[in-house]
Amino acid sequence: MIRLLSQLQKSRSPARVTNLVVKMPQIIAHRYNATVTVDQYFEPMHPLLLKRAENLSNEFEDLEKQMSLGAFDQETSIKFSNVSIVLDLYNSYVRDLENLKGLVDIVNEETDAELISEAESEIETLVPLLQACSQNVQKRLLPVLKHSDKPAILELRPGVGGSEAAIFTKDLLNMYIAIAHFNRWPHTIVSEGENSAGFMNEAIISIDAPGAYNILRHESGVHRVQRVPATEVKGRIHTSTAAVVVLPKISEGTEQSLADDERQFSPSEIRIDTMRAGGKGGQHVNTTDSAVRIVHLPTGITVMQQDERSQPRNKAKAFSILRARLAQLEREKEVAEQKKLRTDQVTTTDRSDKIRTYNYSQNRVTDHRCGHLIHDLPGFMAGTKFAELVERLEETEFEDRLQNLIAQENCK
Amino acid sequence: MARLTLNLLRRANAINPQLVPLLKATRSLQLAIAELRWIKQELPRSQWTDAIRKRAQLVPLQYILGSQPFGSLDILCSPGVLIPRWETEEWCMKLVDVLRSAAVSDISVLDACTGSGCIPLLLKKELPALQVLAVDLSDKALHLALENMRRANVTIDVQKVDVLNYNAVPEQRFTLVTSNPPYIPASDFDKPLLLNGVDASVRLHEPRMALVGHLEFYRALARDIVPACHSEGVVLELGYEDQYLETIANLPLNWSHGRYFDLAGNLRCAIAWKNGSSMECLGRLVNENQSHP
Ligand SMILES: C[S@@+](CC[C@H](N)C(=O)[O-])C[C@H]1O[C@@H](n2cnc3c(N)ncnc32)[C@H](O)[C@@H]1O
Repeated sequence: MIRLLSQLQKSRSPARVTNLVVKMPQIIAHRYNATVTVDQYFEPMHPLLLKRAENLSNEFEDLEKQMSLGAFDQETSIKFSNVSIVLDLYNSYVRDLENLKGLVDIVNEETDAELISEAESEIETLVPLLQACSQNVQKRLLPVLKHSDKPAILELRPGVGGSEAAIFTKDLLNMYIAIAHFNRWPHTIVSEGENSAGFMNEAIISIDAPGAYNILRHESGVHRVQRVPATEVKGRIHTSTAAVVVLPKISEGTEQSLADDERQFSPSEIRIDTMRAGGKGGQHVNTTDSAVRIVHLPTGITVMQQDERSQPRNKAKAFSILRARLAQLEREKEVAEQKKLRTDQVTTTDRSDKIRTYNYSQNRVTDHRCGHLIHDLPGFMAGTKFAELVERLEETEFEDRLQNLIAQENCK
Repeated sequence: MARLTLNLLRRANAINPQLVPLLKATRSLQLAIAELRWIKQELPRSQWTDAIRKRAQLVPLQYILGSQPFGSLDILCSPGVLIPRWETEEWCMKLVDVLRSAAVSDISVLDACTGSGCIPLLLKKELPALQVLAVDLSDKALHLALENMRRANVTIDVQKVDVLNYNAVPEQRFTLVTSNPPYIPASDFDKPLLLNGVDASVRLHEPRMALVGHLEFYRALARDIVPACHSEGVVLELGYEDQYLETIANLPLNWSHGRYFDLAGNLRCAIAWKNGSSMECLGRLVNENQSHP
């Protein structure tokens, strides 16, 4: 049983153990008079992360010194508070681990049965706390990825499946609006495009809460739906898809941000088309066509906006989307670099990867990356189950990143 | 301009019959879809049918909806007064940016031929320390400019002045003169769009007085108004190279100048400034040496 428990703990990520009811090995330990060890209750943090924590405490001392010498700039102050939060958590981790060791010693060395059982019950309350704390510290010790603090822009487009794919895209758009509502995130629909048959062919929504990108970025990829379309007379189940791209939002995309956005690019780097080149323009023309297309020449990224009656507004939106796409590229590069060292397990999520299936007839949502199932499709579409899934995805990602870090340090 | 094929009309009808009359004005299905959406967004349901009917008669959508965005403002539009153009909005926003970053945002500005008041109101809204006078000869324009001023919640002076009458020019200092005077030569006004002429909708529904004009305005602005107002810089919207040449030929001697091209690649403004003055910053608007689309 002791073995079982420790196996169980080892085989799971630290995050998942948190929710586990810890079964104590007390009786068995006594009957056979075996020695218990800390490892049986709890898998300590990876030594590499411990090393990072050490480095952080050096950094903290440096920062303290700088500030006592008069460095009160915002950057230093933000760093100071961030580092101090991590260190605080780390210190309580170290303290709790010490306590656990002490309690384990009591169990091993004491002969007084009452004391032992008291120690055991203390262990029982301590272990979950320690696990939660360790998970929290470990997450914060991993290097922060670029743009994690940014709001998000989501682009949705139908994939295979014709009009049913377009309808599903609209459903997904409503789902993200529901998620935003549920989390009280401000949001706006940047644009909604229809093809000439009247079906949605693109939707862009901006979720304007700082850090929204870090939560929603897991949505990037192909979403698949299996259901009987409303238009299907024979009652057959169809499979269609929609693609979602999540970008970090860099610029507001308003008249106010436009001048600054334009300054980010040299004239030779971008080409801006209006949809009615030719003709004298100006007073000669009073068309309402204010579509703008921006082409970023080095990457070939093309953004077109036409929903607004004002051309500068369309242009500002297009710039905002362009900058978000470029920022996303930058971030993908960073992630790829961190993964480069682990040739054995390249898990970059390709944009063409199916990440999730929405099965209506079985009332089930399956996320293929973490294998998590949600048996409440309406609840998921209403945004109430989203946090649950994100938690699971982050656990999976956390392990992956930890492995990357270890591989990287080993190569040094 | 695309021809209205039966096929296009049929496709529009299949999506939504309301698009068919709109196609007469927009000639493009995409744009008809957009206009229908704007009509439904901005007008009460009871007015939709009437709006679509008017649009089919080429009444500008901006008159039907009653306004047009202009930078951060929403400018009221009504028949008898020119609808603000995106080209004007574009240079006006750039001008705001230039004045702001050059920290010359507390100067006095004269906007001649102000129409709806879009130019001076946006300048004042974005740079509240400016002193602004807007002038026009049309009573309808002056009336609408005042209404737009209240709507924008700023204060500027508005006066009735004939820009072409030297004696009527106010004797006041204005560091900067902006203007979008009528610049369509009478000979072009009745030509079709393809031959440098104007959109049927413009010809039928916008005021001729706001549109037809030529070198006389640029001569009056550069030769008479600039010296009378001791100005140090001008931004004059225009549509023809001749108008640019007329402007620079009439400016005082110690001035520099350059062309500004709009996003569609058309020559759109004459930019000029007195050497050594605070208005040298206007040089940043000149883009004649950059590549154009
Ligand atoms: C092309 S519109 C420009 C309106 C506005 N500034 C804009 O950009 O939308 C030209 C304006 O000049 C006015 N105008 C025409 N002749 C004029 C004159 N002799 N003196 C003053 N204003 C005149 C017209 O009434 C019209 O409002």
